Parts: sequence; C-alpha cells; structure tokens
Amino acid sequence: MNTEIFVTDKAGLATFYEAIIAKHETYAPVEKFGKYEFKKVSALSGCDPDAPIATTMSAKPLFFPRSAKIMKYTADASGTKVSETDEDPLSAQRVILGMKHCDARSLQVLDKVYNWDFIDTDYQKRRRNTVIISARCDKADTHCFCTSLDYNVERLDAMDVLIVNGADGKVYIEPRTEKGKSFLEGDLTHHMTHVRDNEEAAKAMKKQYDAFAGSFRLNMDYKTVNEGLSKIFDSPQFENVSDNCVGCNTCAFVCPTCHCFKISDEKVKDTGVRYKSYDSCNNGYFTLMAGGHNPRPVKYRRWRQRALHKFVYYKERFGENLCVGCGKCTRACPVNISIFEVVSTLPHINNIQ
Amino acid sequence: MDYTNQIREIAARLFSENKIDVFVGYRMTGFDENQVPVLIRDPKEVPRLVFNDKSVFNLTNYLKHEHTRGKRVGLVVKGCDSRSLQLLLTESQVKRDRLYVVGIACEGVVDDAGQKYQNCQECVFPDAVVFDEMLGTPKGNGQYQVNADIRELASKDLVERRAYFEEVFENCIRCNACRHSCPMCYCAKCCIDQESSTLYNGANTTSAAFHALMTWSLHLAGRCVDCRNCEKACPSHLPLHLLHKWNEQVIYENFQEHLAGVHEGDRGAFYKYSLQDPDDFIM
Amino acid sequence: MEAAVNNQLVSIEKPEIVAPPDWQPVIIGILCNWCSYAGSDLTGTSRIQYPPNIRIIRVPCSSRVDPWFLIKSLQTTADGVLVSGCHPGDCHYISGNYYARRRFLVTKKLLHFTGFHENRIQFSWVSAAEGPKFAKVVAKVTEDIKKLGPLHLYKKENFEK
Repeated sequence: MNTEIFVTDKAGLATFYEAIIAKHETYAPVEKFGKYEFKKVSALSGCDPDAPIATTMSAKPLFFPRSAKIMKYTADASGTKVSETDEDPLSAQRVILGMKHCDARSLQVLDKVYNWDFIDTDYQKRRRNTVIISARCDKADTHCFCTSLDYNVERLDAMDVLIVNGADGKVYIEPRTEKGKSFLEGDLTHHMTHVRDNEEAAKAMKKQYDAFAGSFRLNMDYKTVNEGLSKIFDSPQFENVSDNCVGCNTCAFVCPTCHCFKISDEKVKDTGVRYKSYDSCNNGYFTLMAGGHNPRPVKYRRWRQRALHKFVYYKERFGENLCVGCGKCTRACPVNISIFEVVSTLPHINNIQ
Repeated sequence: MDYTNQIREIAARLFSENKIDVFVGYRMTGFDENQVPVLIRDPKEVPRLVFNDKSVFNLTNYLKHEHTRGKRVGLVVKGCDSRSLQLLLTESQVKRDRLYVVGIACEGVVDDAGQKYQNCQECVFPDAVVFDEMLGTPKGNGQYQVNADIRELASKDLVERRAYFEEVFENCIRCNACRHSCPMCYCAKCCIDQESSTLYNGANTTSAAFHALMTWSLHLAGRCVDCRNCEKACPSHLPLHLLHKWNEQVIYENFQEHLAGVHEGDRGAFYKYSLQDPDDFIM
Repeated sequence: MEAAVNNQLVSIEKPEIVAPPDWQPVIIGILCNWCSYAGSDLTGTSRIQYPPNIRIIRVPCSSRVDPWFLIKSLQTTADGVLVSGCHPGDCHYISGNYYARRRFLVTKKLLHFTGFHENRIQFSWVSAAEGPKFAKVVAKVTEDIKKLGPLHLYKKENFEK
C-alpha cells in the first residue's frame, strides 16, 4: 500500500479550488434556472463544486457534446466539397471540479464503447486532457443506488483526485491516478499537510464512506437483476411497467452513460454542417428505416430495449452495467418512473413495496 | 384535498359494472411523496389508486397512447386537465362515449417543497369543465390575471429580453420532453421532427432550440390550457410558461377573451376568426 | 429607433452585433398567389422601382404561412420578413386571410416579447391592382429593417466561415 494523502481544512480546500480555477481551464457545476450544470467558470464565487447530490445534467456533454460538428460541406454547380470543421479538439488541459463519483464512473463505462470497433479520437482527446476532481458525497439522495452496482464506490479510480470531507472538519485529498498525482505536485498543495500511508487519515476516510454507504435507501443485487432480466425478453410484464411512460426521452438525455446519437444536416443555400447530436431509443423514429419498416413500433419494445441495453446487452458485451446508479433519470422523469423500481421488481426479485 | 377513497370506490364500481377497460389515475412511487400515473386494467389493483394535492401530472396525456386508444377509459381530471380534455373532444381526438370522467374541484397541487404551483395560484377554472361525476365542492371561476413573471419581463427593454431568452434557448437540450408530456401535442409526427423537410433542425444547438421552442409554442397558442406539464417535465427547468402565458394573454386581450377549452365545442383561437380582429398592425 | 452607435450600425436587440460597412438587409417576402404576388408582378410590369433586398416566395394563400416559416427565416438568413396577402374580404379561399391575421398578430407579439423588434416581421394587404402600394410597402420595410440593424440570429454559431 502506498497512498499519498493531503490533509487540509475547508478554507484550505477553497484555496485549492481557487488556485485551480486561476491556473487551468475549469468546469464546475453552475446554477441556472434552479438546476446545476457543468459550465466553464472563471471564479469560485460563480460556481459550486460541492453542489448537493448530483447535477441535473451529467458531465457527459463535456466529453460527448450535445451537438458536435462532424464536417462541413459546400455543394454548388462546380461539385461537392467536404471540409474539416473548426471544432476545438481540446489540446490544452482542463479540469472538472465537483463531478460526483457516479458521473466519473460513467466515463469508465463509456470508454469501453468508445474504444471498441471504432475509436472516437475526439472523445479520446477530451478524455486524455481532462483532470477530474471529485468530492465524495456525504449522503445519498432518495433515488441514488450507486452502491448496488458492479463497481466499488470506495476504491473507485475513475476520478483523478478524490476529495473527502471528514467528520472532524478536515479535508482529505487523495490522488487516485498517475495523472492526478502529477497534477497535485507543485504549488497547488503547498498549504496542505502531506502524509503517506497514514492510518489516521485512512480511518477517517473509511468512516466517511461508511456513513455515506449507510445512508442509501435503495439496495439491490445487480447480479440477480442481470440474470433475471436476461430471461424475460418475451415477458408481457414489459407492457405493464412501461404503460405510464410518456416517451419523452429525458432519461436518455440526462443519463451519463447513454450514448446514442443521430446525424443531421443544417444547411443554408449551398453550404451546410453535418451534426452528430443526442438521440434516444425511446424516440418512435429511432429505429425507423428508410424503407418505412420500424422494428420497435410500440412503446414497450423501445422501453424494453432501454432497460435491457443497460442491464443485459452491455453487460454481455463489455462486462459492465450501462447504469451507474446516479438516479438522474428518475429525478428528471416527468411522471416519476424509477429505473430502480422497474429493474428490481421486473424479474420479481426484490419487491420494494 | 384527498379523494383517494372516493376514486377507489368509483374505479371499483366501474370495473364491476363493466363500464371501462382501463382506469387512469395516480399511485404512490413508493420512494417518496411523489406520485406516478398508473393505468389500471385489473380490478384487483384498484387499491393502489390515490389522489391528493401531489397528483400533479395531467392524465389526459395518456389518451393519445396506444394503451388507451379504442378502449373504454376511466380518467381523473383536475380543472386544467379537463380543459385539455374538452379541447381533445372538440378536436375529435377522443370519443366522449368511451370516457368516464371523474372531475375534481381542484384546490391546487403542490411541488416538492409543499408550495402551490404558480399556475394553481393563478388558476381561473379550478373546477372540472367536463365530468360524469364531480368530487369536491365547486368554487366557481376565478378572475383572469396577467402572470406576474410576464409583467416583470415585459417591463424590461428589448435588449434585456433578448439576452434573457437567449439564455433560455442555450439551456435547452432539445430532449422534447415538453412536447411529449403536453396533452395537446398529439401529432403522430411533429413538424419539427420532419427529417425530410428543409425546415428540419436536427442538431441540439441554440439555434435549433430557438426554432423548436418558438414553433412549438406558436402551434399551441390559443390551445394551451396552462397545466404546465411541459415546464414540470423540462430537465433544464426552463421557464416555458413564459411563452405560453404570453400567447394566452395576447389572445385573451385581442380575440374576445378566448381561453382554451373552456366552452364545449369551442376550438382553439387559430381555428376561428372574427371580423373585428385587430388590423392596425397590417400595412 | 435608430440603432447606430458611433456612426456604426448595430443590431437594435443585441448591440454587440455590428453591421459591416457594406451591409444590406436580407428580407424574405412571402406573398399570396392571388393578390400580392400579382400585385408585385404589376409593380414590375409598371416599371416601378423598389429595393432589391426582398426575396419573394409565392404561397397559395396568406393562411398557408405557418408561424414556423417566419421563425425559420429569421433563424437562418433573413433580417426581416414581409408577409402579404389579399385585403380582408377578398381572399380567394373566402376566409384564409382572417385566420392568417390572428396568427400574424400572435407571432409578432411573441417575437417582440422574446426580444426581437416588432418591425422584424411585417404584414401588408396588397391587392393585384396595387402595384405602387407594393413598391411603397417594400421600401418601407427595407427602410425599417435598415434602421434595426443586422439580426444575425445564431447564424454565427452554425455557418461561420
């Protein structure tokens, strides 16, 4: 074991944040219209790195933009010309503050699909040049269930630097990756106490984690869910559980792991831009083919696709659940449908009522 | 406002008399104080039904779904919901004889913090206007008043208003939750989703959001019943009511005090005209 | 209403947007087939001059004009839109322009509310016999839009360079 930990207090943490914002291109949760979203910030006063629970929108748009330009084209009498876009590939390093561990974990899950048969270079660049600084939650929300899923929240290495607010008013800052380690070297941590393999600090962090893990109301066994869901593709239950879904797509747009997109052109006269933008499998026309055939013409089939993709197909292909238990979809759902309730009750595993 | 028992009785009675196939109501989420709409087909599930001041969502939305189409439906409607039902009936989207409507004399629904929603505070028609059976004591119509947010924003100058709305459009993620949760948006394919059209905007840019939201609100002008399903559904918490309430106000002031879905057989403001309509803005 | 600062023409809604020195507004004219389009034809055959900023689109009736068209015009290229139809009572389809009139009022007011000057979209009734009136209307609309400055609505975001 070789853990380095920087110990400081609340004021020291604020100084740390301020130093980062002054030095680096920084993104942090900013409040707008009563919800938090990751935005570029220039001062600590304008943002809230310790925003309560998770942001309404995930940090996904920073890696997989809502709408990315793929190419530009001009088409006139002389022919069609295609050119590169002026999209910024993100060459400089940037820092994200206040990303919760569920959001950070989602990037690890997304990495699998982005490194699969096609390597998305833009995503790779953004991923490589980003330092993720994440503070561990102190308390779980009504809809959180990250501890029930297939990753170890305590030992998670998805964030580069982990910040833990100890019960004693002390703040523990621990680099979790090599990138985080080199990021913390230098001026940023001068005002902190540097300890190595310190048992007291480890104990305080463990205590904080235990308090956090104890605050979850929702618990399930993901293995039973994976196994149970994989057997009930033809179950008529899907029609019953999805009948109150209004098919609005919000869940997919706020989900940190959903990665489906559509391609569309925006054109004026002879010039145009081709965009890659978010889409959702809940859209009726998501699977509509050019010939007019739609393999998922009714809502419950689309809905089943979403549930099974998260807990069965992705698991089979990449060995991980496409769900990080952040509860964003449930909070955003206009009719309060809970993905936890559905996946845990569907295979009649654990009836929470 | 708690009509849980009455609604359970009504639903059980309707099932036993074989008058309906589906009953659309609310049930508890089981996690928190909030409620989930529920479609009940089995009389055994009737005890799950609840109704109180957390029954927020406008259930007429479900009349466009495949689960209720062509079936005999029992439905719970509050004041604003019944106005949208009235409009759906006028626009021939549902058949009256297939519906059994439980109207509520609504006292307003509350948000997570226990505060009455703004539209409930300003509500003009709290009592259901379409019903087979009415629960609660009707209070009569309120007085139409100009929305406070509208008044505040309209007093600002052009530059400020433009900057404000630019921020609104920037924050739109174009998930179209507003459209899907709107009870009055029942087109099988929305005009802003026509990929084959040159007017189509597929990208999630600010420009596309401007196009989508403005077009959407203008297509709902004179038909919006101010149930605010859209605003409650918006994951970005955008003040969508500003667009709708402004249109409603312009229509109320200029077109013979038109309010959507209040009178039987009264169509949306754009489906009729009067020779006295204002003409002074036209050269 | 003059939107000029330091002799430079700026957008009245968003003063950051400065017009280039040779800026000319682009105006979309949506004309009804039966009256206004014939009216504009008469303007041409009568050799009456009007500003060349207008790009004309012919539609069957003014009630064919969905508010969508106006929004889309402003969103992409136009600095202003003119919609013109038959005089009230003269509609080829009997009542089309009465329906259109309601929609125009609401569209105009909504755009004004969301921060676009009212004169960005304008309406006129021009009959097939009113060639000189059409020229006057176009001249007035062009002049109005020139005063308002460029609109530049989100064009930069999509179509820079």
